[in-house]
Amino acid sequence: MLGYIWQYVCTSFLRYWVKWLFRHLTGKCELQRICSGHKPGATRTTKAALETSKDNLEQCVNQIMKEKNVKPQNDPLFKGSLHICLLQITGYSSLFISVEDLRKEVFSSENPEHEAMLLKLWDLLMPTVKLESRITKQWGDIGFQGDDPKTDFRGMGMLGLINLVFFSENYTEEARQVLSHANHPKLGYSYAIVGINLTEMAYSLLKSGALKPHFYNTVLGTPELRHFHQLYCYLAYEFDKFWVAEEPESIMLFNQYREKFHNIVKTHLQDPDVSLALMVHSKNKPK
Amino acid sequence: MGLLSILRKLKSTPDQEVRILLLGLDNGGKTTLLKQLASEDISHITPTQGFNIKSVQSQGFKLNVWDIGGQRKIRPYWRNYFENTDVLIYVIDSADRKRFEETGQELAELLDEEKLSGVPVLIFANKQDLLTAAPASEIAEGLNLHTIRDRMWQIQSCSALTGEGIQEGMNWVCKSVNSKKK
Repeated sequence: MLGYIWQYVCTSFLRYWVKWLFRHLTGKCELQRICSGHKPGATRTTKAALETSKDNLEQCVNQIMKEKNVKPQNDPLFKGSLHICLLQITGYSSLFISVEDLRKEVFSSENPEHEAMLLKLWDLLMPTVKLESRITKQWGDIGFQGDDPKTDFRGMGMLGLINLVFFSENYTEEARQVLSHANHPKLGYSYAIVGINLTEMAYSLLKSGALKPHFYNTVLGTPELRHFHQLYCYLAYEFDKFWVAEEPESIMLFNQYREKFHNIVKTHLQDPDVSLALMVHSKNKPK
Repeated sequence: MGLLSILRKLKSTPDQEVRILLLGLDNGGKTTLLKQLASEDISHITPTQGFNIKSVQSQGFKLNVWDIGGQRKIRPYWRNYFENTDVLIYVIDSADRKRFEETGQELAELLDEEKLSGVPVLIFANKQDLLTAAPASEIAEGLNLHTIRDRMWQIQSCSALTGEGIQEGMNWVCKSVNSKKK
């Protein structure tokens, strides 16, 4: 229901907001400085987008109300609702920018932060087993391919590792339970690389815009990175449940089942009331 | 013969199907190569769990390319895909010198497989875009490729990332299929 209202408000008023933006782009304002101070291209556009979304949104709402002659005393809730709509719309694109930045950050053994995060993942998942050395076959026990996980992050970069750590840190019990399923001798799969693969699923869904209804329903404001990590947790937990229930013949059928699961998720996302929330207790539940 | 009948004739001779098996250690670049062949985006590739398959049209052939995950844990499954293979493409990360021995062993085992006997093998010395990559000649020598007598073989340096060398390799694949069928 709320989604429908938002959709209505957005389609009715976005046009004016865009017109307002253009007026500012040609007038004398902060945006103008961004535009004249940067070469055309991604940097300038990104800066301009962030500028308009953060500081000027409130102003933008006021402008719309003035233009449309909306009296706050007659409709006291309007301003807040419209503001949230605009925060959600602009927030979705800025979330993608942040996610894309993390994805492009390549895991590097020379970066102590990256290394610390990798070791943290091990400790969270295998609290009773000590890692014998940095390069070891033990990494296979949490589902990396070889004796050095660094090559497994590939196209997902740090985004893949951060998601894995976020799940293990905020849903430790669930993550260990999923890992134990993944290590099943017959029904098992490679926990870490399937996790990286599911990060790719989350990333593609975000990029295509398919996650809009989910974030519009679950975050009343600007969606942040942790909301994206949260969605990954949902996928990791739900995929495991799906895999265990389906009992695939072997790991070689992974992509077939992944596609089936992907379709289920996409079907959920067709529902205007969709909320892909992991329904278990989190140690560190995001607000 | 009128134009229509020529068109009809072209349509009625379907492309000959070729089964290509893409193998090699994990992180060699098999999936990137597969996506490059299919002209797909290669920027967010993740490790292959299981396998990927794609069909590509090339020089009158329909190439069905099977890209099988290379991690040690799933190498025992490779044999499930040997049957009816027309060409084996073996991909090597030319910059991963530490694993040359391992990759050589895996290749030697594949060449000993009965179900792959006589199957032409193309070795892609991949990742030539990296400064530390070993040249194809060095890899050929290290793997003793010159001792292969029971089949056609070829080593081709390439970069699946930039696409360099791939067309040359695929030309050899089509050529070897042609000469085998004769």
